[in-house]
Amino acid sequence: MSIIFNNVRISMSGKFFPGQKVLVEKGKINMVGSSIHKNVEKSIECNQKYLVPGLIDAHSHLGLFESCSPMNDIAESWAEITPHLRPLDGIKMRDRAMEDARRAGITTCMVCPASELPIAGICSILKTNGNSADVGLIVEQAGVLMSFGEAPKANARMTEKPHSTRMGLTAVIRETLMKAQDYYAAKQSKKVIKDREIDMEALIPLIRGEVPMRACAHRAEDIMAAIRIAEEFKLKLVIEHGTEAHLLTSILAEKKIPVVLGPTLLPRFREELNEKTFESAIILMDAGVDVALTCDYPGLPIETLRVAAAMAMQYGLDERRALAAITEIPAKILGVDERIGKIKKGYDGDLALFSGHPLDIRSKLEALVVDGDLFIFSNDVKVEMGS
Amino acid sequence: MKTVLEKGNVFYQGKFQELDKLVIEKGKITEIVLASAKAKKGKAVPATKKKPEVAGKTIDCTDKYILPGFIDAHTHISLEEEGVGWYDADFNESYGLATPHVRAFDALKMRDRAFKDALAGGVTTAMITPGSANPIGGQCCIVKMVGNIAEDAVIKESSGMKFAFGENPKRVYGEQKKFPSTRMGTAAVIREWLMKAQDYLKRKKTKEFKEREIRLEALIPLIEGKIQARAHAHQADDIITAYRIAQEFNLDLVFDHCTEGHLIAKELGKWKARAVVGPTLSSRSKAELKNKTFDTVGILMDEGCVVALTTDHPVMPIESLSVAAAMCVRHGLDEERAIKAITENPAIILGLDKRLGKLEVGYDADVVVWDGHPLDTRSKTEAVFVDGNKVI
Repeated sequence: MSIIFNNVRISMSGKFFPGQKVLVEKGKINMVGSSIHKNVEKSIECNQKYLVPGLIDAHSHLGLFESCSPMNDIAESWAEITPHLRPLDGIKMRDRAMEDARRAGITTCMVCPASELPIAGICSILKTNGNSADVGLIVEQAGVLMSFGEAPKANARMTEKPHSTRMGLTAVIRETLMKAQDYYAAKQSKKVIKDREIDMEALIPLIRGEVPMRACAHRAEDIMAAIRIAEEFKLKLVIEHGTEAHLLTSILAEKKIPVVLGPTLLPRFREELNEKTFESAIILMDAGVDVALTCDYPGLPIETLRVAAAMAMQYGLDERRALAAITEIPAKILGVDERIGKIKKGYDGDLALFSGHPLDIRSKLEALVVDGDLFIFSNDVKVEMGS
Repeated sequence: MKTVLEKGNVFYQGKFQELDKLVIEKGKITEIVLASAKAKKGKAVPATKKKPEVAGKTIDCTDKYILPGFIDAHTHISLEEEGVGWYDADFNESYGLATPHVRAFDALKMRDRAFKDALAGGVTTAMITPGSANPIGGQCCIVKMVGNIAEDAVIKESSGMKFAFGENPKRVYGEQKKFPSTRMGTAAVIREWLMKAQDYLKRKKTKEFKEREIRLEALIPLIEGKIQARAHAHQADDIITAYRIAQEFNLDLVFDHCTEGHLIAKELGKWKARAVVGPTLSSRSKAELKNKTFDTVGILMDEGCVVALTTDHPVMPIESLSVAAAMCVRHGLDEERAIKAITENPAIILGLDKRLGKLEVGYDADVVVWDGHPLDTRSKTEAVFVDGNKVI
């Protein structure tokens, strides 16, 4: 199947240029330019509307949280640590939020278990089309979610578990990583044939440095604890939430640690949110830190991803970087920047067509393409069927 | 950048003397000249070759008191942040029984108000330890009272292993209807883990060794004598039990609290004990505190023990460290030794007497200028330097 968007504005180095055409063929972006002449199956006349890469939220619980139900699949609250939990096994592709995501222009999400446990499970990267998670999933093991600070403390308190303090939480993470290192070393040596352990198996890609530790941390102290542990075990690291990351800009910049920032559009209902500010994005980005914005669905509704970027602009961020924070940069943080996050030849056919500027909240999403699958959300969009 | 403090009374070589000048450069004390030394040279002090003026600042301290920054060798600063609640209570892993692998360093919160209060009270260095709920509580750290991140403040990430004897572990586990609920049980838990650690260390040196155990890994530096055993013990018998175990396992032992130390002063003197005494200003809230007195410090010092005072913050606020020293003076201790108990002695106990606790050339420039006598509670800190930086 092939689709062409005629006469759209696309963003090039910070400015939207009108009169562009984008051709999607076999699920991929095939051509971008002002003069494309080709017979296509579907041709869409766009009248200078705005076309952006499909938006990406690098931290969500989409599909694990079950809309309108108290029975979600986000957290194994009663377990101690669960590195072996796979989001794939809990995602509900027909949950209403999946449709909400598409209608918000979001084509890709990182999905992970909740941050209740010190080690919660693996992170997967999912497209929002598809009838089964197996189809939508583009990378299954894209990181291991760990958690510092109040969330695991609150869980330990509720479930009367050990490690109810920051000391205990970091200790249990170190203990598990130490075991995983030794487990992997024993496995490598091949002399000892050991029974596999499912939680240790899940940690091997992390120990090998193939995927990052995704560390949920709000307070500066908790971010530092994550950095300390990542350095001790030579792990790649991404900071999730990062409410106080702007207090550590020079450290994060120097160590090249990216931040998936947010959700910021929330009241300060916990102590660790005290320093929350929409200025974080510009402070961190000015220092050279890679920042992606997140709404941490269901922390905030998935539709608010664009709002987060618009709020960052209200607090001083420029348009180019605000858009990058929900497209290119999350793609880079997720390690899939060679296939998504840009409108570029060879990239996945993930596109969102907005009636006006994408960061003007009044603009409507009119059409969405995910891996070449076309979704139309507006009667204003006229699709001409080609020969 | 050079800072010069001129004139005033300096606590130097164990007593107050008249200062001519004290020079701070690059975080260290680089020169101390007493007024008496200058006077001896008399008028002959020649106008030496005029050195080019180094950019710097001179502070006139006439009538002021200049002291080394105080050191509290036993606190829980920021583990339970003040004014916050359970969100930031990181005090005791009290479901763990033996948690040698937890580290106070990982729970520091550098923006806790207590750090600022400490500086205002003239305290520039503190040892921070996990609580005393567990027979083996975890690792202590030593930090200065400044810095945005713990790494900026740290002197030692792991300086000692906390053990608890007496009522606390008994109460915590007894109330959970668990072992140990007696003093015998507490000692048994400690012995069991130390024994395991010794054997683990032996096994680790062999070829069969494959998998590490984080609790035992944490105990290795203790067994090897690289970090101290810090024994929370109030009652005389608990102090002796701690000593007994330390002897059995050849540990480098420091007594914390030591409330009934004066009842076994002869023994402690013979053992050349190092004791961190306090918080004596707090009330007698449990049975093991019934013999608490400010006399303990002097009695132990007379027997030759190295004694430091503690506030055990947040049990008593960190600012009360100088008040505790003043209380000892009221109970008969001489002023010099009372000041040593919050400067030189804690530095010795923490193994930092080569860089902290005294005003000496080459020592860290942790210097506090008081507007009156530091043991007069009405006096306040006018200037506080940590590593040569003026923080107040």
